[in-house]
Amino acid sequence: MYLWKCWRDTRWFFFVFLAIAALPMPMAAFASHGGIARYAGSFAFQNTFVTIVTAAAYALATICAIQEFTDKTAHFLFTKPRSRGYFVWASWIVGFTELLIVAAVNLLVGWRVLAHYGVSAFTEAAAQDVSPRNFVEAVVYACFAYALTFALTAILRNGLKGLGASLGMMAGMIGVAAALQMRWKVDLPLPPQQIGHLPIALSECLWVIVALLFVCVAQVVVERAEI
Amino acid sequence: MRQLAISTEGLTKNYGPTAAVQELNLHVPCGTIYGFLGRNGAGKTTTIKMLLGLARPTSGSARVLGMDTAPDRIAILQRTAFVSEKKTLYPLLTPKELVRFSRGFYPTWDDTAVEKYSQLLEIPMTQRFDRLSNGNQTKVFLLLALAQGADLLILDEPTAALDPLTADEFLRVLAGSAMERGCTVFFSSHRLEEVERIAEFVGVMDRGRLLLESRLDDIKSEFRLIIAVGNSLPLHTSSQVLSVVTDGDCCRYLVTHAAEGFAAQLARNGATVTQITSLGLREIFLHLVRKELPCISGNAGATLVGSSSSS
Repeated sequence: MYLWKCWRDTRWFFFVFLAIAALPMPMAAFASHGGIARYAGSFAFQNTFVTIVTAAAYALATICAIQEFTDKTAHFLFTKPRSRGYFVWASWIVGFTELLIVAAVNLLVGWRVLAHYGVSAFTEAAAQDVSPRNFVEAVVYACFAYALTFALTAILRNGLKGLGASLGMMAGMIGVAAALQMRWKVDLPLPPQQIGHLPIALSECLWVIVALLFVCVAQVVVERAEI
Repeated sequence: MRQLAISTEGLTKNYGPTAAVQELNLHVPCGTIYGFLGRNGAGKTTTIKMLLGLARPTSGSARVLGMDTAPDRIAILQRTAFVSEKKTLYPLLTPKELVRFSRGFYPTWDDTAVEKYSQLLEIPMTQRFDRLSNGNQTKVFLLLALAQGADLLILDEPTAALDPLTADEFLRVLAGSAMERGCTVFFSSHRLEEVERIAEFVGVMDRGRLLLESRLDDIKSEFRLIIAVGNSLPLHTSSQVLSVVTDGDCCRYLVTHAAEGFAAQLARNGATVTQITSLGLREIFLHLVRKELPCISGNAGATLVGSSSSS
């Protein structure tokens, strides 16, 4: 029943992102009689995919956590006979599932539209930047951003503060990595980049594990929090 | 002797240097309605939070329905319904959806109670929670608490935002349901007339300390205010003398029992006893918590629970 409530709380945001993921690409392709698909196709598709899943990650994470762990309603939720860890993970899972559905729908729609005009969605001879790996990295980055934002919103028990702290941390990590590179020529990997000389698949798995650790930290903090 | 639904031993909660609750020894007998009185900031809500596992005690222990609050939190919550001081719920859900949400947590959930109390309290079940009036929002809390089929109802200032009519209706349903089901009700309030109306036991708290805990009938029949004038009057509290307020040579003693004997003792020691009066809950409360005069209050009332309930 709690999962139903999480779904009930987030469904409108999910539907909005689902619409954004599903509609603009076929509409643009139809309006331009396939011109966009043929000339900007896979490159544009890749960029919109990254933008959509990233935006969905930040928004869904904030919405999922804000509905549950703010001061106003925490007293009601945390006097239900379930562990607080259950609430943290159940809420996280609902939002994460919605995020994956948004990503999958955008991927399927883009692939289908481009295929309709004879364009490959995941490779492009003229543009070296387009590759299937970029799509995987976008999903891993979204997973990382989603978990970090969710964790910070749950810990700070405030949507705006959580989102702001998450964006600040992401920007801070970029700044720290740049400073380390300039000062000591040390490469600090940022999500979803390859970590050292580890295989790419293993690097991505490690980033996902780090993301899950954020949720574990949020669970510990929420379990110890006084309401 | 009755079993205790809630008992605390030396329960203390500090927020930094501020002592919110100090050495609290609370005894709430099973199957009774217990009014937990105190001014704003007396420590009532903090106590309730500790009972429900929403706050950790700094020291001391608490048992709810025979279970330790820390390790058995979830088992306690399974059998305890809570109406919070903050009457805020998920704004977009309707009472019907809130019922659907809450039902899954409790195996003892009673749908007939939902039907009965939603009609009795006239709750618009299909209207969004944030569009309900304050009164109806509080009623939704009560509905969810009553339908839970809990053995213990803890209500934190349930009628604070209600108009007299709605508050009256709320208390009527609460008392009726408690009597019907035999559950224990522990409710905090600063409205004395409400407590006087439905409570069997009363606890008075001020500045984190429990000043009085007694059966309401005992207060009415036994408690006396003795005003005495003289030199070297005793200023200490005991199980018999709940508090002493001094004003120059004049002392006002709040005596829990055997007031005549105490007055005679004062007279033997050279004091002039000017007045012995019986008191209502209001006078006792004001006497215990008022600040104009120096007041020495002790946690003497706790002794009364055992003796009253066993008799």
